[in-house]
This record gives sequence, C-alpha cells and structure tokens, in this order.
Amino acid sequence: MKRLRHVVRATVASFRVAIMMAVQYRASFVAEAVVSVFWLAWTIVPLFVLFRFQRGVAGWSQDEALVVVGFFITLSGVLDAFVDPNLSAVVQHVRQGTLDYVLLKPIDAQLLVSVHRTAPSKLPHVLAGVIVAVIAAARLPRAPGAADLGAAFLLLGAGTAILYSLWTMVVSLSFKFVRVDNLSYLLRTFVDAGRWPTAFYPVVVRFVLTFIVPVGLMTTYPALALRGALSTSGLALALGVALAFFGAARIAWTLAVRRYASASS
Amino acid sequence: MKALMRALRAMPAMLRVGFAEMVAYRAELVIWILTALTPIIMLLVWDGVAANGPVGGYDRAAFARYFTAGLFVRQLTSSWVVWELNESIRTGTLSPALLKPIHPLAFRAAENVVVLPFRLVVMMPIAVALWLWRPEMGMFIEARALPLCLLSIALAWAMNFLAQTVFGALAFFAEQSLGLFNVWFSLWALLSGYLFPLELLPSWARTIVWYLPFRSMLAVPTEIAAGQLGGAEALLEVGVQAIWVVLFFFAARAMWRAGVRRYEAFGA
Amino acid sequence: MTASNDPVVVVDRLSKVYRVPRKDPGLRGSIGSLFRRRYQEVRAVDGVSLEIRPGERVGFLGPNGAGKTTTLKMLSGLLVPTDGSIEVAGHRPWLREPEFLSQITLVMGQKMQLIWDLPPRETFELNRALFDLDAAECKRTLEELVELLELGPLLDRPVRNLSLGERMKCELAAALLHRPSLLFLDEPTIGLDVRMQVAVRQFIAQWNKQSGATVLLTSHYMADIAALTPRVVVISSGRIVYDGSLETLVDKLAPERRVVVMPLRPLSQEELTAAAPFVLEEGRLVVTVVVQEVKRVVDRALRELPVQDLAIEEPPLEDVIAQLFSSEAEA
Repeated sequence: MKRLRHVVRATVASFRVAIMMAVQYRASFVAEAVVSVFWLAWTIVPLFVLFRFQRGVAGWSQDEALVVVGFFITLSGVLDAFVDPNLSAVVQHVRQGTLDYVLLKPIDAQLLVSVHRTAPSKLPHVLAGVIVAVIAAARLPRAPGAADLGAAFLLLGAGTAILYSLWTMVVSLSFKFVRVDNLSYLLRTFVDAGRWPTAFYPVVVRFVLTFIVPVGLMTTYPALALRGALSTSGLALALGVALAFFGAARIAWTLAVRRYASASS
Repeated sequence: MKALMRALRAMPAMLRVGFAEMVAYRAELVIWILTALTPIIMLLVWDGVAANGPVGGYDRAAFARYFTAGLFVRQLTSSWVVWELNESIRTGTLSPALLKPIHPLAFRAAENVVVLPFRLVVMMPIAVALWLWRPEMGMFIEARALPLCLLSIALAWAMNFLAQTVFGALAFFAEQSLGLFNVWFSLWALLSGYLFPLELLPSWARTIVWYLPFRSMLAVPTEIAAGQLGGAEALLEVGVQAIWVVLFFFAARAMWRAGVRRYEAFGA
Repeated sequence: MTASNDPVVVVDRLSKVYRVPRKDPGLRGSIGSLFRRRYQEVRAVDGVSLEIRPGERVGFLGPNGAGKTTTLKMLSGLLVPTDGSIEVAGHRPWLREPEFLSQITLVMGQKMQLIWDLPPRETFELNRALFDLDAAECKRTLEELVELLELGPLLDRPVRNLSLGERMKCELAAALLHRPSLLFLDEPTIGLDVRMQVAVRQFIAQWNKQSGATVLLTSHYMADIAALTPRVVVISSGRIVYDGSLETLVDKLAPERRVVVMPLRPLSQEELTAAAPFVLEEGRLVVTVVVQEVKRVVDRALRELPVQDLAIEEPPLEDVIAQLFSSEAEA
C-alpha cells in the first residue's frame, strides 16, 4: 500500500512537472487551434472526395466513415498531447545520456518516461476530433444507446493503450538505433492508416491493421460499437488485442533497458 | 558565381561525406523511407472504391499507375531540410556552418540529393510488389515521356527544397516556424495530388488548385510519369513548374539573407 | 546485521567487454559496412577488484577511456557486468532494486538531471516525490544543503539562467536530497572555473563529514584527488594499477626533486663547470636528484655557490601520474 502511494505520488509529481515545462514553451493554444483546422481539412476532405462518386464504400456510409475519421482525429490528438512528447524526450535522453538519471530513480522507468512530458497545446486536436465524431454520430440513422456509448469509450481507451504500446515499442527500438528522431513520423504513418474504416482495405491489410499494427482496430471498432454493429465477442477481441500489445510493449521496454545497460558506455 | 563554382568543386567530397553519414545511420534512412508509404495506403482505399467500376475517370489500373508513379516521385522529390535548418538555427550549430566556404544550403542540397539513389533502390521491391498485385497498370512510364518526366521531377525537387528552405529560414524570426510548416505541409498533402488524383476534385476546386504551387510539386511529375499528362499540356505544366521554381528561389534567397543578417546581429 | 565497518562496496574481478562496430575507411568501406558489420572487442574494465568501507572517500584516477566511468556505472547499476562479482550496500546494483536506488546517488559532470526550463526548486520537489521523502525531513536536508552550497538566491531562478558553476551546485543538492549513503561522482569538476572547483571539493568533503556518506569520485584532474580523496585508485586500460594513499604513490613513483638555485650574480665559465652537476637553465642553476640526495646537494650549493634564492620542487603530479600510465601502456 505504501508502495502504491509512492508510485501514485511520483506519477502525479512527474505529470505536474510535465505541465509546468509545457507552459514554459508558450506554444499558443490559438496557434495550435489554427493548425488543427488545417489538419482537419486534410483529414476530412479526402473522405468527401471519396464519397463524391459513391453513396457507400465497403458497406460504410459517409457519416459512418466520418465517425471513424472523428475518432482518428481524437486519438491522433491524444498521441500528440500525451504520447509523442514522451517519445521524443526518451530519444533525447538516450542521445544525451540523461536516461541514466531516470534509471537511477526508485520508480519504474517506463512509468516515469510515460508521464514526464506533455503537450497540452495539442488538446484542440482532441476536441476537434470529438466534435467531428459527435456531429457524424448525430447524423446516423440509428442513435447510439448507452451501452453503445459505453463500449465506444472503452474501445477508445483501448485504442489509446494500443497507441501507447506501439509508441513504447518504437521507443525501445531507439535504444539501438540512437539517431532515430523521425520515429514519431514512422508512428504517424502507421496511425494514418487508421483514418479509414478497415473495411476499405484488402483483406490482408485489414488483418494487419487489426492484429499486427492495430491502428485500424482502434478507430474502426469504437465506430462499430457506436452504431451498435459490434458484437460482445468483437468487444472482447479488441480489448484482448489491446492487453496483448500492452504486455508486448512492457517486454520490449524491459529488453531495451537491459540492452542499454549492457551496451552503453 | 565563384561561390557556385566552389560549391560544385566540393560536390564530390560533400556527396561522399553525405553517403558515409547516411550509411552510418541507415536505420534512420529506412524509417524515413517507410514514412512515405501513405500513397500505398491511399491506393488501397481508392482501389477498393474503384472495385465496381471507374471512379471519376480512374479505373483500378489508372489508380495503380498514378499512385505507383506518385510513390517514386515523392521519394525523389522529398527533403527534410526544414527540420535540419530549424534545429541548426535554434541550437546555434548554424554558426560554424556559416563560416565554411561552402554555402550551408549547398551542403544540405548535396546531402538531400545523395540519398535519392538509395531511396530508389528501396522503392524497387515495393514497385514490383504493386505491379504483381495490379499487373493491369502496365509499365507506368513510357520511354519518350522519360526526359520530360525527369525534368519535371527535378523541378519538383527544387520547389520542395526551396519551400522548405523558406520555412526553415523562418526559424530565424519565429519560434513557431515548424507550426507554420505543418500548415504548409497539410495544404500540400491535400492539394498536391498526394492523397488523391486532383482530377477527382470538382471543377471549381480544380481551377483553384491550378493556381497554387502544390500541384507542381507532385501532381505534375506524377501525371507525366503515369502517362496521364502529355504533349503540349505537359510542356505547359512543366513551364509553370519552372516559374514556381524561380519564384521560390527568390523567396528562399531573400528569407535566407534577411535571416542570416538577423542571426549575425543578434548572435546565435 | 552487518557490522558498521563492513565494506559497503565489494568488487571482485569485475569486467566489462563491449562489441564495437568497425568501419574500414573510404567509400568502399562505407558500402561494405552497409552489408556486413564487423565488430571488435573492447575491454573497458578488465578484472577490477577492490573494497570500500563506509564513509571512505575514494578517488578513481585515470586517463580518458581508462574505465573509470564504466566502473562507476557498474557500481551504480547502470551497466551490467560481463564478468566478476559486484556488491554495493548488500545489493547487486544492476538489479536496480528500489531499496538500493534510494541509498545511492550519481552526479555526472557533463549531464544534468535538473529540469532546464524550471527553477531548481521544482526539480527538488520532483525528487522528493520520486524518492518518497518525508516533508519535514526533506526540508531539513534541503536547508542544510542550501546553507552549505549557498543556494539561497538560486532556488527560484530557471536553471537555464544559472551559470555552469551555479548549476553544478544545484545538481549536487538535487542528488543529495534523499540523503544517500553512497555518493558517486563522475568528473564533477569538469568545465568549472578554479574557484568553483574548490567550492565543489570543499562541499563534498564537508558533506562526507556531516552525513557519513561514502564518496566515490572519478576524475582525470589531479587536483580533485589531491584535495579530496586520501585514497586513490589508479585505473589504466581497464585495470587497477595502484590502490592506496596518494602520498605513498607519489613517493614511490617520483622519488626525485628538482633543486633550483637563483644565483646572486652571473657565473663565470669556470664557476659553471665547477658547479656541476648543476646545469644552467634560463639563468638559474638546476639539478634533479633523488630525495635522499637533496640534503647533500642543498648543503653543497649553499656552501659553494652564490645563492640568492633556493627552491626544492616536486615534479608536477600530472607528470607523475602520466608516467605511471605510459609505463602501464608499455607493459
């Protein structure tokens, strides 16, 4: 119990410092909000172009697909605000040798590096995504029920966990390939594939995007839940995948730290 | 002029250093290349849409040809000088580079160019895979279109490099310069034909897009390569590209000079 | 229960071996390394054994690349040994158990744990939470540190606005907030001006006395060792070359002294010849002799030469140590 209290205390303190550091940068909310408008356009316009010629694509109507896009924008915002800043910081730590200081603290290093940075200025993206998803969901022929909403939230949480796990695995790679500061762009390319419902892709790719790099799962499944099209087994499957990835991320991190501990000088 | 001659003479050495650096960090390079795979994703989606028949004048073969060509063009025209400039200005490492007899931008250009053959080589297996998947796309480039296509690619490369220089040089003046570049990049992604062939836009949008530079940075060489743009029209578009290159050059030069002056006045 | 004088650090035949990629020169080498990487073995630490008692101040001295930092990192658990055994405060460091980590601290001269954009106070607060320190106790420790290091005016200014020396002082405070029983310092005075170097050394000595913490310091500056650590461990090429007191080392290695005579007036050629073995060097008469001969030579000089001033110089410690390293390299 004392240990748990210690860990909670340490986490809260780290996150508090993360916010203080972010505020120092004077990255203006307004500027980010403007950027997110352009980014919204980039994400939504292709959808409109796509649906210009057909009413439905692979069994998805424009509004249903728009829900997926909304969730995609939301999760991208979460990635930008909470996950990516920590990623860049770890890469920098490894490069500058300051990861040593993290490893010397009596708190799990993975936990520390997951909460020690944040970019609250990216929160407008999250808001924009939620707005898009809500507008699209409102236009659906069938209004989502409470259970649907609950499942959708749960799956968005699972999606966050998947993003976090993917990020952690990629960061673990950075220990070996030290000069990989474009790792975040790599992650983004994969995440980018999640902007479309997985049904739009050929079968093989669909499988990859659901089980191997589950970016499709994290946006499509909550959208399916929202329109009541997701079975309980589907829900269980998605949560299972998220859990598996979380475990894999932990393993990847542990191996990377061990390697760092034996290889660096 | 003398500076240019000096830069040219130093080219082989710069290329060699750039190559050695690139090899030392080959993992990074592969990742950079992987990040340009968005066209493949878009191709998969559009292919699905065109499953039951052509869409806006593009059938599956046409989409395949377009996006495969787009993949190559993207690889051959992209650069990362905006991030390099931003970092070297912010951290002050630009100072020693300014003292060298070679213009730092010439060095960056050499660096960016030397990577191209490697990128081409890495793209080959992907192109082959795509061709095996959609053999109806055929050979997406005809021999007689090649010279114009190469010219168009070179001009697009220059546009990209110079545009990035402008935004990189913004770091002399503003901390948020990368944010501004992200806006530019979003517009580029949307309006350059990166995510969908510009032909698919409604005609009013197509007119607007014609007046913007983004089309010249990707769509023009891609359409020439894919055989969807040819003859006099292609020449016209390449001419437009050349005009944009000139405009961008002057913009980049002005930004750079103003920026360096400010940099040297205020110190690193 | 361990007796209070049991060694707190026990190292036995510790080794650390790296595989480092090797590249052949030139363009061909670049292409070659694209396809096939070649490795070579580097023995950073090669069979190091030592024991340290609680409260001791020990200096690791050696040239760059000797293995000092690697050894220190193994002691603090940052690196896993390739061979041999290592025990610090009853733990195996590389397991990085929380109880172990709470008892040690590492300060690296060129790397900061202070948060750059915030005042040092915020780093202290963070560390307080990370080490789960009791508020009252922590306050007391901080007051002690603030007094010893004169941190008063520095606490609330962003770290980026502090000078290098001020930053170093704050680094030390941040590192000691949890009152560790072991203080590892890796080149702590590097890059500091002389005044600050002295201040840092004085602080470490004072803290060692006040808190009883064991101090392990690596440095390639003789002055750090001479001022701070009565016991010196000389490391060269990954091996311990000497482990003992500094005085004994100097006497053993450099039993020579330079006797320098400033003459009252210029000497004639005959006088110069007669003054042998003294040699004329830039207007002064100089001779180098073993310690045992010093008295005889000085007596003779005072009797026979027109002496205005006479000095007995020890060879610079740096030269002594450098000699030790070069002889090791030849070995």
